[in-house]
Formats: sequence, C-alpha cells, structure tokens
Amino acid sequence: MTVNTVSTSPDPVDAMSVNTMSVNTITAKPIPAKTIVVGKDVLSPAKQAAAELRNEFTRRGIFIVNLVSSPGAGKTSLLEATARYWNNPQKMSVLVGDLATDRDAQRLAPLAPTVQLTTGGACHLEMPLIQKGLGQLGVIETEFLFIENIGNLVCPASHDLGEHLRVVVLSTTEGDDKPGKYPKMFRTSQMLVITKSDLLPYVPFSVEAAIHDAHLIQPQMQCITVCARSGDGIADWCNALDVARTEMLRRRE
Amino acid sequence: MHETSLVRSLLMQVADLLEKHNGESVESIEVELGPLTGVEPLLVQSAFAQLAPDYGMVSTLLQIREIPLKAQCRTCGSHFVIDQFRFRCTSCSGSDIQVLSGDEFRLMNISIRPRVQEEVSE
Repeated sequence: MTVNTVSTSPDPVDAMSVNTMSVNTITAKPIPAKTIVVGKDVLSPAKQAAAELRNEFTRRGIFIVNLVSSPGAGKTSLLEATARYWNNPQKMSVLVGDLATDRDAQRLAPLAPTVQLTTGGACHLEMPLIQKGLGQLGVIETEFLFIENIGNLVCPASHDLGEHLRVVVLSTTEGDDKPGKYPKMFRTSQMLVITKSDLLPYVPFSVEAAIHDAHLIQPQMQCITVCARSGDGIADWCNALDVARTEMLRRRE
Repeated sequence: MHETSLVRSLLMQVADLLEKHNGESVESIEVELGPLTGVEPLLVQSAFAQLAPDYGMVSTLLQIREIPLKAQCRTCGSHFVIDQFRFRCTSCSGSDIQVLSGDEFRLMNISIRPRVQEEVSE
C-alpha cells in the first residue's frame, strides 16, 4: 500500500527540477547571460560566395582577374592596351567599378563587352555588385573576365571577388615606396604591374626598389613593367595572363 | 567606409545568432582583429556605435582583441611573429611563409541574455 502511494507522487528527478525552478524564479533575478562561441571570420559568407563564383568560372574556363590600384594608376589604359593587343572578341570581358560616371565603360566598350558598376560612394566592390554586373553582362564566353576595382589601395584588399588572380597596378608617378605602405594589398596580390614606364626618365621611381619592397611583403609576386601608351611590355603582360589561365585549366583536369 | 561595411556584416551575423538562440538581447560581442586586416580598431568602434542601434544593440559592448600576425616558415617549419610586414623567416630567412593568424576580422563569441520564459521552462 505504501509503495503505491509513493509511486503516484512525482519521481525524484522531476521533484528536484521543480524545486530548482522555483528557487530560480525567486532568487536569481538577473538571468545569467549565455556565451555562444563562434570563432568565424566576419567575411566568411562573402568569401564563400566568392569561392563559388571562382569554381563556376573555372569550370567554364573563364579566368577572372581583379585589377586593383590607387586612382589614376592606369588600370583602364592597361585594359585598353590589352584588348588592342589581343584584338580578339573571344578574349576578354570587363566589369569596371567607379563611384560615379560610366567614363571607363565608354572607353572600354568599343574594345570588349563591358559593364560599368557604380557604387555611389562605396570605396570597394563586393560580391553582390559583381553578381549584378554579371547578370547585365549576360552569358559570356570570353577567356578572361577583368574586374577593374575602385581606385583605392586599402579597402579592395579585404574583398575576394572570386578572382583567380589579383593584380596590383602601380604607376611610376606614385612612388616606389608604396608596397610597404599598403601591406595588405600587396600581400594579397600575386602580380605587380608597374605602369607608365615611359615616365621613368622624369620621375624619381626605381623599378628595382619597388619590386624589392613588394617582395618583402609578397615574396612570390610576379612583376611586369609596362607602358600602355607605347605598348611596351604589353606582350609580356598578356603572355603572363595566358600562362596563368593555362595553369588554371591544367589544374581543373 | 570599409569598417562600416565590415561592422554591418558583423551586426547581421550577431542578429542572426541572437534569433537562432532565441535570445532577448546581446550583452557583448568579442572580436579578434589582426594587423593584416587593414582594419582600424578605433574606426570599428565608431562604426559600431553608429550602426548598432539599427540592430537593436544600443547597450551591447564590443570588445576588440588585437592579435599579432603569426606565421610559419614552410622551409624550416619555425613559428614566428611578423614584424613590420616583413614576410621573411626569422630563423632561416626563407620567404615561403604561411600566415597562421592576424589576417582576419573574427567574431569569437557573443554573450546573450536569454528570453525569460525559455529559461524558466528548462
């Protein structure tokens, strides 16, 4: 009989939890905060989107080049010279970013399929804008897609846009001390193109010093010197791009 | 500008976590910031102060832990801290360097205040 009576009462575990609960509601007025461990890069969603784009373009055989530099270093002139050198509509398409105006797109459109991306003030391009631009570009079947980033040696360094190759463009009028001053940009680039070589006799710029400085930060940096106006070095640049794309295709196999 | 967009990403991720864990509010956020991020802690704090109210995090504390740029030499295997952005091994002067930490803006953890009802029913 006594056993039966006991069995109808709540089991000991339940009784204990009910007891704890009532203590909590009476005494522990501030509920303790709960810590959630994350340990994740803030940019990881954007990095994942970039990796997906890169994979898709690798599959399609399109090599993406992200061109970064300060304003006026000659990114658009380099692309004009590149398109003229190849002189082949199958070779390249361009997404060009600026804060305002479509001046760069107007220069490039006669030479290659081009879409202007305007950020309305933002200092760098991010994945959503690239995806929008690709939508406007339509289905491309060119060997290369160039992304001409916003002229800025700081912020674009932090944003992977799905490129296979990041090229930092440095003009001889900017000074050969720039790599050390913008370490993130030079560390995350694989190729350095020094432009406006025709001005070397007139400006205090040492190609050797710039390359030495860049190699302190990125020892594997490939360096090419060009003059877009005369076409000097453009063949070397275009060959280096072809080699890099061939390497991508070989790795894909 | 740059800090603004990073802080916005951070706040969106924290807001998602708060919702996923059914929390009431966020007490604090701890992030790690390395020298190679190109992100300035003071600017992160001011961007956070400006943007946090949009995400209902007016009284949330942002703790930024600055960490050194650590690397490993692929040639001799030694570990070292990179000073002055000179990517050279401090032991063998090798230039094949792998960065181990200090190139990210990492969300480490958040402290949330759970909703009252959920806590009682546990």
